[in-house]
Amino acid sequence: MAERFLAFVLAAACLGLWCGSAAAAAPARVVSINLCTDELLVQLADPAQVASVSWLSAASAGSNVADRVMDVPQNHGFAEEVVAARPDLVLAGRYTARAAVSVLRRIGVPVVDADAPGTLDQVKAEIRRVADAIGHGDRGDAMIAELERRMSRPTPVRTPKLRAAVLRPNGFTAGPGSLSDELMRRAGLVNVAAELKLDTYGQLPLETIILAGVDLLIVDGDRAGPPAIATEVLSHPILAKLGDRVRVVKIPPRLWTCYGPSIADAYDILVDAAGSAP
Amino acid sequence: MSPSPPYAPLAGALAALVLVAFVASVRIGYATIDVGGALADLLAGRTSLGALVLMELRLPRAIIGALVGFSLGLAGAAMQGLLRNPLADAGVIGVSGAAAFGAVMAFYSGLSASFGLALPTGGILGAGVAVALLYALAGRGSATMTLILAGVAISSLAGALTALALNLSPNPYAATEVMFWLMGSLADRSMTHVQFAAPLLIAGWLMILVCGPALDALSLGEDTATSLGFHMARVRLLLIVGTALAVGPAVAVTGAIGFVGLVVPHLLRPLVGGRPGRLLLVSGLGGAALVLAADIAVRVVGVRPELKLGVVTALIGAPFFLLLLWRLRREA
Repeated sequence: MAERFLAFVLAAACLGLWCGSAAAAAPARVVSINLCTDELLVQLADPAQVASVSWLSAASAGSNVADRVMDVPQNHGFAEEVVAARPDLVLAGRYTARAAVSVLRRIGVPVVDADAPGTLDQVKAEIRRVADAIGHGDRGDAMIAELERRMSRPTPVRTPKLRAAVLRPNGFTAGPGSLSDELMRRAGLVNVAAELKLDTYGQLPLETIILAGVDLLIVDGDRAGPPAIATEVLSHPILAKLGDRVRVVKIPPRLWTCYGPSIADAYDILVDAAGSAP
Repeated sequence: MSPSPPYAPLAGALAALVLVAFVASVRIGYATIDVGGALADLLAGRTSLGALVLMELRLPRAIIGALVGFSLGLAGAAMQGLLRNPLADAGVIGVSGAAAFGAVMAFYSGLSASFGLALPTGGILGAGVAVALLYALAGRGSATMTLILAGVAISSLAGALTALALNLSPNPYAATEVMFWLMGSLADRSMTHVQFAAPLLIAGWLMILVCGPALDALSLGEDTATSLGFHMARVRLLLIVGTALAVGPAVAVTGAIGFVGLVVPHLLRPLVGGRPGRLLLVSGLGGAALVLAADIAVRVVGVRPELKLGVVTALIGAPFFLLLLWRLRREA
């Protein structure tokens, strides 16, 4: 009963105050509650449009836009914070902050759900979708063209191809169907995790990865995080003892966690590694 | 009392069981390696992939499993003797939980990154405080109810503090790591863990094992034990410190694995004629076999990501615990 009353009050407030402007072509106030949409919003929108971004994009380790969101109000993906920011449009991820998104939809706030793309074509589609939603389709097209230009650099021809595996904290790896897998294959690498019957992002025990015979182990670049059991696997003594059998390639996770222009930087590192001596 | 089998063959049989479980644990992994070939490579100084996996992953995992299992089994038997209560298990009465909290403080503050021994030390301090507190609250053969309730209070508090400390740490994996500390795992541990835990664990074992005769005497009552020439204050101190040394570093390396110290001593008690002193060594061996077997189980059942070890021991141990309570109630 109380819940229904609250919903009614919120809906009334919404109708009376600010939801009416949501239909305008270029939304004046956009709130993003997902790290990846934060990045696209900051890079594609006019600064005045950005009403709030998630706290994750201000925490420097995982974000490509940390220095550009210092003055932007942060949210933690809670519906209450989002409503308080009076958005004309909310950008969310399809798999994150779902409780907040369902509340926002119920009270009539327009929400764009961005997907987690697994291929380069899907990346372009997501960029286009976000760019169109915030009224800057032209900037989206420019971003896509630049991404295409950088992704079309020649890749090394090498037989046999180098075998690579991604090793992330907690033993997570990038399997088939993930964007990381697509980038690795495009760069001319064999993704070992794909042979090991994994889901998109699965967990692998260290011994499976090592015995599968990898030439390149792709780990997170910036290691100096807070202590965690999850990252202990990345400093397991066996990795040091593998010696020159396996080369460790470092890619900062912020480059390819999301689907912005930074994936071209990750791609550069992969292509360089794929062409180097084993 | 029914006649019990002779002690030496029983201990020998359990030691053989531990050996079998150890070899099986080394042989059974996620990938197949030629253990014989890897061993030959290792002895010849060739660092083949198989030899590396054997030396750096399989062996530490099995060694830690055996050490931790022995510690938990032994500590269970020791606390049951000290508190004269068959339900006193490190996990059930909160000692493991408190050790986990101590280790969590040492680990997430970054102390253990610069000073390796900080991790087991944190575990020892946590376990020591809990054992001492329990003894003060529920020692000297007081009612089972008091012990269990004190344990519930310590467990809950330690669990809450562990979760709180993790939530306050700037660590994006905090939510999953609470599981590690509360349920325990041997996944991807290394020889480094063996090196810093083993000496402390063994010191704890020795302190507990020398108390065997005193525990036998204590089962006849404190006055009798004193009249038999045992210095009870010293025995208590040895057992409390020994338990802290056995449980603290174990939990610091693997997280809290529950019920080992409950199930094993209970199964073996009839086989040693109910003598708490004789129960010590065999409970250690039985604990080692149980943890090794549980760790083989989490790798062969094919549930990914790997089950936490404490899930398996609780699935075995918790129904057992209920059964035990049921029997105690009927006896009362």
